[in-house]
Amino acid sequence: MNELDDYINRVKHLPPAPRVLPQLLQLLGQPEVPSEKVVNLITYDPALTASVLQLCNSAFFGLATPVSDVAEAVTQLGFQQIYRLVVAASSSRTLTPPQKGYAIDQGELWKHSVTAGIAAQLLARAQGENENVVFTAALLHDIGKVVLSEALEKRYADLLLAANDSATPLVETEKKLLGVDHAQVGGRLLDRWKFPPNLVSAVWFHHHPRAAGEHAKLASYIYFGNAIAHLLGHTYGHKAMALTGRAEVLKTLDLTPADLDRYMLLTMDELSRVETLFKART
Amino acid sequence: MTAAPVESKRIIVGAGQLAVSAESGDVLSAFSLGSCLSVAVYDPLIRVGGLLHVLLPESSLSPTRASTAPATFVDTGVPALFHALYALGAEKYRTLIYVVGGAQIIDDAGVFNIGRRNYDALTVLLHKHNLRIRGEHVGGGLNRSVALHIATGKVLVRTTGQAGEIAL
Repeated sequence: MNELDDYINRVKHLPPAPRVLPQLLQLLGQPEVPSEKVVNLITYDPALTASVLQLCNSAFFGLATPVSDVAEAVTQLGFQQIYRLVVAASSSRTLTPPQKGYAIDQGELWKHSVTAGIAAQLLARAQGENENVVFTAALLHDIGKVVLSEALEKRYADLLLAANDSATPLVETEKKLLGVDHAQVGGRLLDRWKFPPNLVSAVWFHHHPRAAGEHAKLASYIYFGNAIAHLLGHTYGHKAMALTGRAEVLKTLDLTPADLDRYMLLTMDELSRVETLFKART
Repeated sequence: MTAAPVESKRIIVGAGQLAVSAESGDVLSAFSLGSCLSVAVYDPLIRVGGLLHVLLPESSLSPTRASTAPATFVDTGVPALFHALYALGAEKYRTLIYVVGGAQIIDDAGVFNIGRRNYDALTVLLHKHNLRIRGEHVGGGLNRSVALHIATGKVLVRTTGQAGEIAL
């Protein structure tokens, strides 16, 4: 654990904690959503509120009259939609910058994350699972890369050598070079940011969902979203495709290989539909 | 007097799309293919070319989609690409065919092998029509992008995380 904290403490540009998200997830998970608390929580952050209102008033929703506060926005669009906008607005700045240690350019990690988030969410919706939790977990699954990029940059020569070996998964290369991998660091970071244990554990084990124990299903949703993003080519940098195939994940999620084909198409369509809501920001 | 320089125009071919061109300044590009497959076809005599960016091998997955967006699948996309090229005057026997993409994640069980299935579907189809692949950069764990230059027929491949381009 100490080693993970060391990397998090050492990083020069640690992204700001998306404080609203864990609390919002908790509120939306209640049987009767306390709408006043939801509105207050979002309104408390003026920058976030401005971004959310801007998205609500974008051409995408085509509202007859523009909304001017969060309460109105919730009434017009519903909790589900507002939540997605809050997640997008509060995560895109963290995930948009280039991650040099991974040779990931500006906007690429964001695109990868959104693709994984959307794919996992579509499946969760079809299976009646909690979409908000699944979407958030899949969107944030690679947040550990934002921490490890600097450390990898310092080991660039070694990394380049390792990068040519596409048969070794990226997480193993990270472990060999740094002693830790981005999934562990990401899990630890989300824990420090007070995300719920299921989400922390699922991100921690997103490359090996079975190891997540009671949270294996949530980890499997992340794995699935990540795999779809890889298959669609929304994966970048060194060893872009070096993900270990885990057939057991399909079993956990009650899917057949043909479902992968179907979800590639569904994800691509949904991505082009919601593209304007998930623009990269810096 | 010198001729005005030909303006270069980049045409991006997204997943599930195809594009053809007879304009010498055009460059047809498909980015970040992953397991998707890009097929570039060029007729060097009349300098027309086309680029296809398919996602999946078989249209049986969604016949409705295949009828509106044939370039989604190998079995409907390849014929659509050739027909679009014939309309520009290309001749089948002159065409040069290049294939890029079809990457794989690390998957011994072959469950996630969409890249491989795309490539296999393509080679079976080309074989049936007596067509040969002239150059390819496929398979393995590389996420590739491709560009076809209409003026020269040059096909250039880039890989994420690596500098430089490879000419097929």
